[in-house]
Amino acid sequence: MSTTVNSKGSTSTLQAKVLTLVNENGLKIFLAVVALVFIGFAVTTHNYLTLFNIKTIIRDAALVGIMGIGLTFVTLSGNFFLLSMKETAALCIITFATGMSHDYGFILSLVASVAVAMVSGGLQGLLIGRGGNPIVVTLGAAGILYGIASWWSDNLVISFRRPNDAEWLGTGSVLGIPNITITFIVIAIVAELVLRKTSFGREVYLIGANRAAGKATGHENRSMAIKVCIIASVCCAIVAVAFSAQMSSAQANYFSSEFGSSGDFTILVIATVMVAGNSIMGGYGSTLRTSLGAVFISAVDNMMVLQGYNSGPRVLSVGLMIVFSILVFAYMRRDNRSEG
Amino acid sequence: MTSFNLKKITSKDPDLAFAILLSALVFMFFSLSEPLFFNINTGFAIMERFAVLGLVGLALTLCIIAGEIDLSIGSNAALSAVIVVRLTDSIGATNAILIALAVATSIGLIQGFFIAYLKVRAIVLTVGTLMLLRGITLFAADEKTVMLTDFDIPDFIQEKMFYIFSPTSFLVLGLFVLVALFMRYTKYGREVYAIGGARKEAVAAGVSLKRPMMIVFAISGLCAGIGGAIIGLRSGTAQPLGLQYLLLAATVAAFIGGVSILGGKGGVFGAFVGVLTVNFLNTGLVFNVTPAYIAQMYLGTLLLIVILFQNMSKVYEDKQRRQLKLADTDSFRKRLMQTLKP
Repeated sequence: MSTTVNSKGSTSTLQAKVLTLVNENGLKIFLAVVALVFIGFAVTTHNYLTLFNIKTIIRDAALVGIMGIGLTFVTLSGNFFLLSMKETAALCIITFATGMSHDYGFILSLVASVAVAMVSGGLQGLLIGRGGNPIVVTLGAAGILYGIASWWSDNLVISFRRPNDAEWLGTGSVLGIPNITITFIVIAIVAELVLRKTSFGREVYLIGANRAAGKATGHENRSMAIKVCIIASVCCAIVAVAFSAQMSSAQANYFSSEFGSSGDFTILVIATVMVAGNSIMGGYGSTLRTSLGAVFISAVDNMMVLQGYNSGPRVLSVGLMIVFSILVFAYMRRDNRSEG
Repeated sequence: MTSFNLKKITSKDPDLAFAILLSALVFMFFSLSEPLFFNINTGFAIMERFAVLGLVGLALTLCIIAGEIDLSIGSNAALSAVIVVRLTDSIGATNAILIALAVATSIGLIQGFFIAYLKVRAIVLTVGTLMLLRGITLFAADEKTVMLTDFDIPDFIQEKMFYIFSPTSFLVLGLFVLVALFMRYTKYGREVYAIGGARKEAVAAGVSLKRPMMIVFAISGLCAGIGGAIIGLRSGTAQPLGLQYLLLAATVAAFIGGVSILGGKGGVFGAFVGVLTVNFLNTGLVFNVTPAYIAQMYLGTLLLIVILFQNMSKVYEDKQRRQLKLADTDSFRKRLMQTLKP
């Protein structure tokens, strides 16, 4: 799709050059920017470019990154994004912690949590695939899922005994690398391979890039929406389990208040997808971009913490990053599209 | 005969008929199950809630008619609330409100401009501005809940008049009438419908995308601003991360009111009915001492039911249209065969 950019001839040569450059080398440019940020702030910020801090940055990026990778499938298939990410995670974390506190063990609790995610994701995908708007459907689903999670747990903290067999995921590490980080990296690699090497991955791109062509060749969004919603929801479940294992407890509002500076984890997840320039209209982008976006946001956030900024400027900077990247990428692709 | 007339009405605007029916049902349910519900004081409470939710519901209805959706509405309202509460002490309530409204409206205008100019979808841009505005609000509020020092200042906005109204609810009702007239009788209002229902055709016919989009988002910003200002003044406090619940409630109201996510459908009267329905539900649930998250659950369920209803009626319409077309071609073929026979 990047070669037909200048077909209209209405773009000026400079713009066309920039456009081609970014479309073809977008990932490289993004990497360069990330590298520049690292180098630039390493000079000005004390204790920033230490091995320990870099590990912290990637570990902080892991949870939001895993959910971002799940959401990328939804976005790539042209179904925009799910506004029910943090609520799905809330229901999963309650499921997991309830299982753990009743001594069902790690595996059974994990399976229950993933099953809950698959059911809720599948139902949302069913509605979306039948022509429901993803934003509106998941906005409604978010209310329901959060309601169920709070009602089930009576809005109380559910904690389970330490030591337990979930601790390896929450606080354990291999060769000094936290297991959450390893999970993140593994999921990122698997997701990228699925997208690049399997027919399912190519179907995601096809349906996202051109839904009519997909339908004509027998790849309907009706079943695709269900699949991608399940993938996104299962990623939410993994994050919920990892977070619960870290805290040895759970509450329905963990993903609304306890972490994430903005108080809205869903928007932070969407930010990781957007910042790296995945096309929100679908068909263009990759999970690798999302992973790097998560690390990028985490790196900037970490730097601002070390510089002593409060949550206001940090949320502001993430917001600026999203809006800036939306505007830049929309401007680049403006002439590429006939209608908004 | 009555059933025939009813059928005529429902077939002319089935969504509006459904909305009115739903609203009446909810009202009747709570009137019968709660002895205190059908009461002047409850009416006043409902109208007071209507003042805020009505504004946001109206704003979202306009956006959806234009084929877009404004996710930043809650953040915009929170910013406005923080500005009003912070500035009232130093420069007086009126000036503070004016500044807040100016800020909120210009945020809407800028959003509308970028959406039309860059041809970016509103959900994409507004999910970014949602976060950006939260950041600005946190900044403006110093990351804490701001409070009025003199709680007597804002009393004038909730004085009771004509049994169930207050100056705020009058203001909001007036705004509804104004926007309804604007949408129905001006060129600009029709342009909004045009870019929502058939954007390609409208643009091809020479409607500029920029003007209606900027008008819609400016109105949306203004409504969010007034809503935020009312909440801020009424409670005397403002939380920078608050008002997130407005989006869900307003979306439910808009969809009950009969808008379609594809745009070009629905109207101000529908929004009015939708907001009333949500208010009946919310107020009724307060009587049962229902926690906020359960109320949210009801709203979410309601939203999904309304969407299902809409989708089903659309599938039904498509089926009917296809059958008509088939019958048409059938009769055409028959006639053709007859003319070819001899």
